[in-house]
Order: sequence, then C-alpha cells, then structure tokens
Amino acid sequence: MSTDKPAVEGRIVASGLTKVFGQIKAVDDLSFSVEPGSVTGFLGPNGAGKTTTLRMILGLAEATSGTGTISGVTYAQLPHPGRTVGAVLEATSFHPGRSARNHLRVFCVAAGLPDKRADEVLDWVGLTQAATYSVRGFSLGMRQRLALATALLGNPRVLLLDEPANGLDPEGIAWLRGLLRRFADVDGRTVLVSSHVLSEVEQTVDRVVIIAKGRLIYEGRLADLEGSSSGVVVRSPTPDELSAALAPLNVKITPRPDGSVAVIGATPEAVGRAAWEGRVELHELRAGSSSLEETFLRLTADPSATSEASA
Amino acid sequence: MIALLRSEWRKMTTIKLGWGMLLGAMALAALGVVAQIASNGSPGTGVPPLTNPDTQKAIAASASSAYLFSVVVGIIMITTEFRHFTSRPTFLIEPRRGRVIVAKILVAALVGVIYGIVCVALTAAIMIPWFGAKGVTIGWIDSGVLQSLLSALVVIALFAVVGIGVGVLVRNQIAAVIGTLVYLFVLEPLITIIPVVKNVYPYLPGAAAAAITGANRSSGLAHLDALHGGLVLLGWGLLFAVAGWMFTIRRDIP
Repeated sequence: MSTDKPAVEGRIVASGLTKVFGQIKAVDDLSFSVEPGSVTGFLGPNGAGKTTTLRMILGLAEATSGTGTISGVTYAQLPHPGRTVGAVLEATSFHPGRSARNHLRVFCVAAGLPDKRADEVLDWVGLTQAATYSVRGFSLGMRQRLALATALLGNPRVLLLDEPANGLDPEGIAWLRGLLRRFADVDGRTVLVSSHVLSEVEQTVDRVVIIAKGRLIYEGRLADLEGSSSGVVVRSPTPDELSAALAPLNVKITPRPDGSVAVIGATPEAVGRAAWEGRVELHELRAGSSSLEETFLRLTADPSATSEASA
Repeated sequence: MIALLRSEWRKMTTIKLGWGMLLGAMALAALGVVAQIASNGSPGTGVPPLTNPDTQKAIAASASSAYLFSVVVGIIMITTEFRHFTSRPTFLIEPRRGRVIVAKILVAALVGVIYGIVCVALTAAIMIPWFGAKGVTIGWIDSGVLQSLLSALVVIALFAVVGIGVGVLVRNQIAAVIGTLVYLFVLEPLITIIPVVKNVYPYLPGAAAAAITGANRSSGLAHLDALHGGLVLLGWGLLFAVAGWMFTIRRDIP
C-alpha cells in the first residue's frame, strides 16, 4: 500500500495499519498523520492498540497489513534511524546491572555518536548525579527519564513517546511538557506522545489522534474536539416540537439518559431564542458540563461514534 | 559493523555477567585438571602413570570442560536482551537484525577465545609445578600436550558461538540454558546407547567437541578427526543462529 500523503521530512504517516494477533484485531485499518513542529497526543484507553501501533511504525512489530512511514519511508529504510527517530516504549528497556551512563554509551557507539553525548543527555534529563549507579536501584520516574535520555541520544527530529509521563512526579510532568513544547515550537521536531489519560497531555498537545479498539475515533485539533463537546442540555415536555424549532440552527440533537437532549453546535442563548420563537415549553436549559475528559471517555467508549476529522 | 561490534563488546564489559562466568569457567577447568592429575598414576589402580603421553594429553584437554560456562555466556548474551527489553533500543538503532546477530556471534567468539586462553593458561599453571614436583617431564610437543591445550581453547571458544545460536532460537533465557545443559549432559550421552543413531552420533555437538580434544578417541564410538569436529561444532552454532533468524528474530521484537 502506498500513502497518499506526500513525503514530508519528519512527518509520520500511518496508512491502513492493521495488526492481527490470532483472532483479535489489535489495530484495525488505522490511518493518521503526525506533522513536524507539533505535539500530537495519541490517545485511547488501555488496550486500544496504541503501543502496537507505535511498535509497527518503529518496525519492531510487523504490520499484518498497511504501512507506517516516517519522512516517507519505513523505519528500516531510514538512513540513520538511531539519529532520526527517538522512541520511548512503555516498559523500560534497561539491563538492571548496567549503570545509566554505560547504558547510554552502549547505544552511543552503536549509533555512531561520541561518548560525551551520553553525559549531555543525562544532564538534560537531570540524571547526572545517578550516572554511575546501576539501573536496578532506579525509581520508575528515573527509569522514564533514562528512557527519554536514550531516545534523545541521536538528537532525533522525530520523537515517539509511549506513556512517558508514567511514574513522573508532578514536577517531572511539568518539565516533560516544557521539553516537548520546546522540541515542537523551537526545533520544529515531530512529537507523538501517547497516553490513556487526556488530562495528562491536554495542556501540551496541539492535535490528537484518538483510537479505541484499534480504530480511529478522532483525528484533529484538540480545540475542535473541545468545541464539539460543549453542548447545551435542554429538557422539554415536547421533544419533537423542540427538534422542529431547532432545525434552522443546523445542530446535532442527541437524547440523554434522563430524558433531556444534548444539543451540539449552538450556544444556550441561540437554543433559548429558537425555543421561544417556536413556542416550545422548556423545563431546563443550561450549558453542557461535559469536560474534555468526558468527551474523550464518551468517544472511546463507543467506537462506532466516529467523529469527522476537521484538521 | 565496527560500531555494532563495539556496542556488543560494551554490553559485555559493562555488566558483571562475563566476569562471574569467567570465574566459574576457571574453577571448572581447574577442578577437572586437579582431579585428573590426582587420580592418575597412583600405584595399584592400573591407571597409566603421569609419564604416559595419553594421560598428559587427557589432563591438558580436560580444561575444555569450561565450555559449560562459555555456552551459557553465549546464551545469556542474547537472551538477556529479550529478558530486559534492551532488544528494543538495539533493534531501533540497527533495524537490520541479521547484522546485530552477526556482531553478537563475533563478539561471543572473542569472549570464548578469552575464556579459552584464561582456562588453558590456568591449566598449564597447575600442570607445570605439579609435574615438576613429581619430577615428570611434560611432553609439550612430543606428547602433544600443547595441541591438547589448544584444542580445549577451541572447544571453549566454539561453544560461546553455539550459545548465541541457541539463544537466538530460544529467546527464553531459562529455557535456553536448562535445555542446553540437559541436552549436553543427559540427552546426548543417552543417544550413544541407542544402536540406530550411533551413526549420526559423531555429528552431534557434544561428540564434535569431544572429537576436537580427542576425548572420545578411545571410547569405541565412531568419531570425527579434530578439524572436522571443529567444523561440525561451528556448524551447529551457525545452524541454530540461522534457524533463530528465520523463526524468531525476523518476527516481532518483544
């Protein structure tokens, strides 16, 4: 399969990616793209297929069908993958008996980088003090920092981070946010960061790719997802008349479990005016309290509710 | 390739595994040599005395028992990557997986040669004063003692390569180590009892190793000469590695 997107330096493209484990489709015809100079959140509940997708893009797992490309080529075709792409994968990848500095030096030499690079990245992630200690004694947060240091060794223009905030303390998360933003805004790098908690990446990402059960649910700007979520809750004894009165507003009306309806695509003022003009009796009219997190949960709970990408 | 070799060498030297296993190899080699010398030539046992060239050669060749540790080192060199998931950064930096395996084989061979040199030197260091004290001359060249020491070195080195092969094929560390030891010390000796498979016996890994040192020359079993024994043992290592590349390494990396 070929990608219909042109090859752009640093662009990640998933095109029809599918991974079947036995009877289970872990990733199902997944297509999306991640642009340079932006931080993209890769979101979905646990088991949605995020890690499998990243592993296919990185060539560690073979796609059953479809392709994942970086800068227009597969990972294995990259001239210097170690100096082009940096990756942090969910479980930490260290020999417990090796020191942090030696761990990095092992991969420095493999990637053709000078040994001093190991000390530079250790300094970046704040592990200089622990450089000579065995990884065995590292906390989860320290392991995440070392994993990030490993990813940064080759000064890559593309970063794929799988749940990098796991185990980081609030200070560490704030630091990570700053780092990722700087990579995208100042250096123009491509940053794809996965998480199963939207709020974790909400403040960092420009765009989101949301998947559930291996399928794409939403791809686009986070701001647009937010806009689509802020509905208006309306309760009327005559819902059919309400629908008729709201028809000119061109809104989406969905019933809620308590008998009211959620109106998406209009302000409470516009809904109120339309109801008054249509002489519809209202018992309740308020702005929907649906937070971004609720929207995320709603989207990922029901994979059939595919929203159109608006980016 | 040079970068990969250096990386693999660093992996080896930055953990304690290699040193611990070397100590084990030395202990096993020394134990074998001491036991052989002590049991030889005592009056009334009917065993040929230390002056016998074959006895001297057998003592020198017993250093090869240290292969037990070199094969385990080979297995662990590769399986530890899957156990601790360092396989991920390894294959991310070099996605051409076959090259990583070749680098591992070469570094394992080097590690095996170092083990071999150390164990053989230790054997000589035990033999020289002991024989000296008993007033027995060692026939380094005439009796072929030097050749036996060299053959022990080759066995130890080749088994490190076999270890890589096994580890590539069987990624589970415990299974690979236990399986190999059970095969070498239980299954293969059992095979020699079965009449039908006696014809293939010379080509089995343990028999090939014994052919290198000449340990099975007087056993009554069919055996290869030293050169062919060496080639067969190397062949086993490479066969396992190729099979592992086909069935394991080309698949998804855990």
